[in-house]
Amino acid sequence: MAVDLEVVVVAVTKMTSQTEQAVAEHQLTHETSKASLTMLLASAGCALLAGLPNQAQASELDNWDFDAATLIYAESDSRVTAAEPVISATRNFDSETKLNLKLALDTLTGASPSGATPSDQAQTFARPSGRGDYDIKAGEQPLDDTFRDSRAAFSATWSAPINRDWAYSAGGYLSSEHDYRSLGVNGSISRYLNEKNTTITLGGSFSSDSIDPEGGLPIGLSAMAVPGSANFDQDFSNSRQGSSDDKTITDFLVGVTQVINRRTLMQFNYSISASDGYLTDPYKIVSVIDDSSGDNYGGNYQVNGQNLYIYEKRPDTRLKQALYWQTKYQRENSDIIDFSYRFMFDDWGINSHTLDLKYRWQLGDHYLEPQLRWYSQSAADFYQRYTTASDYQNVDEISADYRLGDMDTYTVGLRYGYRMAGGSELYARLALYQQQSSGSSGFGKLKEQALYPDTTATMLTVGYKF
Amino acid sequence: MQQDNLHGFSESKRLLSIAKMNNPSGHPMPELSFLAADQSSAGFLLQFQAMASTCELLIDLPESHWALAEQLALQAVRETWRIEFKFSRYRTGNWHDKVHQKRGHWQNLDEESARLIAFADQAWQLSDGLFDITSGILRKVWRFDGSDRLPEPEQVATLLPHIGRQKIQWSLPEDDGVNSKPAQLYLPEGMELDFGGVGKEYAVDRVLGLSLSLLQKAQPDVACSLLVNFGGDIACSGPRANGEPWKVGIEAPDREGKEAALLSLTGGALATSGDSQRYLLKEGKRYSHLLNPKTGWPIENAVRSITVAAPTCSQGGLISSLALLQGAGAENLLKQTGLKYWLLSA
Amino acid sequence: MKRIAVAAALIALLSGCADLGVKPWQRDILAQPEMQLISDPVEAGLDDHIYFSKEATSGGRGFGGGGCGCN
Repeated sequence: MAVDLEVVVVAVTKMTSQTEQAVAEHQLTHETSKASLTMLLASAGCALLAGLPNQAQASELDNWDFDAATLIYAESDSRVTAAEPVISATRNFDSETKLNLKLALDTLTGASPSGATPSDQAQTFARPSGRGDYDIKAGEQPLDDTFRDSRAAFSATWSAPINRDWAYSAGGYLSSEHDYRSLGVNGSISRYLNEKNTTITLGGSFSSDSIDPEGGLPIGLSAMAVPGSANFDQDFSNSRQGSSDDKTITDFLVGVTQVINRRTLMQFNYSISASDGYLTDPYKIVSVIDDSSGDNYGGNYQVNGQNLYIYEKRPDTRLKQALYWQTKYQRENSDIIDFSYRFMFDDWGINSHTLDLKYRWQLGDHYLEPQLRWYSQSAADFYQRYTTASDYQNVDEISADYRLGDMDTYTVGLRYGYRMAGGSELYARLALYQQQSSGSSGFGKLKEQALYPDTTATMLTVGYKF
Repeated sequence: MQQDNLHGFSESKRLLSIAKMNNPSGHPMPELSFLAADQSSAGFLLQFQAMASTCELLIDLPESHWALAEQLALQAVRETWRIEFKFSRYRTGNWHDKVHQKRGHWQNLDEESARLIAFADQAWQLSDGLFDITSGILRKVWRFDGSDRLPEPEQVATLLPHIGRQKIQWSLPEDDGVNSKPAQLYLPEGMELDFGGVGKEYAVDRVLGLSLSLLQKAQPDVACSLLVNFGGDIACSGPRANGEPWKVGIEAPDREGKEAALLSLTGGALATSGDSQRYLLKEGKRYSHLLNPKTGWPIENAVRSITVAAPTCSQGGLISSLALLQGAGAENLLKQTGLKYWLLSA
Repeated sequence: MKRIAVAAALIALLSGCADLGVKPWQRDILAQPEMQLISDPVEAGLDDHIYFSKEATSGGRGFGGGGCGCN
């Protein structure tokens, strides 16, 4: 046998002419079949070597996967603009043990609906901080343009096997913005059955949030102080009840993931989420509409010659339950269909349906992934687009936040990705998002106003995985 | 110094001395050479005999590191000979012999044997019982010497009751922090364990692993890369010290030593199962040496040999064996694993 | 609690079904990163955050998101 350092001869195999060429062209690296090996490693004993190394030690960087992306979200009509850069780093200890660290920053600017209705008269609103006011022209949507925030969120998740049949994960996160802080922990445990074809996961998470709004906490249902009035300071402070409050969110989830066949994977989840504490949006108000017959029928109800707006108030508990079903199927030509449906219902009276369909079109090293998403929700029991002069003193809870009203939303997206030779991937995604709200169209003068304007937003994500 | 003329190599060679107790099989002493084609391609080559093969360890170190190369070489030889002796079916007084002395009783297993049995067990499950470490007993009636002497069906049938992994019992070690219990094995009378299907690949991985551990401790001042080659079962530590891939030639027997193709190996292992020399031929029908443990007769339509690239040699060997046992379905299984493979059909 | 019973029945159904599933060596396709249920966790996180702040529903796929004063 001819042996030298250049050529080590395997003196065994006669080649068929067909495979010879493949061999000559083949560069054997670990990248070639990394994905399928992962499974093989898991099932067919790396335990045999009892921890002995089988590779020269990889440099520390080789054990990390990074994913950096930025999302730009822009609503039309110069409403909210958000930029959210994220970096996610995963340290792989072995094929199933990993630590993921994620940092997201989030900057929001622009104007957001305050909850008040548009009017045939100009309207003036106190800023939530109590310092200054803003004017909304007749017929225009009342948007609070003080909306500006930055958020930083950090999370860490550790996942690892316990033994052949069990695995677990544990994590924590911290998120902070100038008026809100959230601290959470979560964990899950998974059981593999049927040769790992079935996975049952039980998970739980708990988060404790505190809210510290600008200008203090408004008293729900109290009147918004009238800007410029002689006793504004007195009225403003009478509408406050301290500076901060908190809430807790407890989630449980049970999920089943089932391998259907070599190309199909399915997941079913049931989740329940209980929120407890201050669930109101401190910046949202509700218009009180004059319902006494006369000139101002359907106009803003006035007290002492000034429009009356009251602060919204939501229940202090919410119990949400959701069922989720996802199927992923790879076609013979390597295209992937990803379909999911979610049904959610809660004790606020909201039901929602979400359908999401993605089709990944494999084009060699490139891929295109169109996406369609449809979401539909029914209104919360206490949602009212406005209240009336004869009703407002009788309501216990009310919100005019369009996010709690009857609404359909549509997302149409297209993602393009390019997988480079070293295994890194560059991708970009453009999506259009439209919200369509609906509800009662009011009475009298209010009928002339657009109470449920559509919102259209553009989302652009650019990311790089390496 | 003959090789100077043949290859244009400069070479210096040392015979290593290994104590008798570490050479229970009485092999000839190993040779460690330093070979240099030129500055950029030089290194140590260890050659020794074990497991009916020529075994090699290539150590990519400059000539100034003779001491470390010798240390690596001695460790590799001792470990290989240890494994060979421990699991050999042909020796007395070794582990294999002792285990078979205690047939019919529960006995404790050391960790290494338990790991090997567990590994073979996974192969047994993955192959639906075709890969079976109790099937070696069929050698008593099947001799694959290229002749036409097939056994009588009755001869085969009398062995079948002694074959079947499901007939042996064993338990994993248990350690709950308070009490620990070693792995245990119950081997019924008349049955035999055969580690021939996993031993060599395991030895390749062990030698690479121990060498890498030793290098981690020794911390040489230069990068060192390793390749282990036991008669075609190969594992390497990564690319060569100069960053180039290892070049591995696959030899075509009918082309007299010429490499049919060159592979570039930058990591992982290659393992080959099958042997085109071992078969019986009767009335034009070729009987492969691969026996189905359920029938005691050769696998139909077996391909001749399969080479698989995998992260470790043991895994490569496992997959190539499993594929070989699929008969005509070999290529199908190989494709499904997603691993690189080379197949020689009958 | 009725829903939980449904989920449990579903699990029993799935684990009792012997025809579903693949052998370990047939996991090549399912092991691809793009065949993971959440193939791009970063994108999923960004989406969840947007939808969390714009719609009344969150979670379902995993935990309910949150950690944000935007809702």
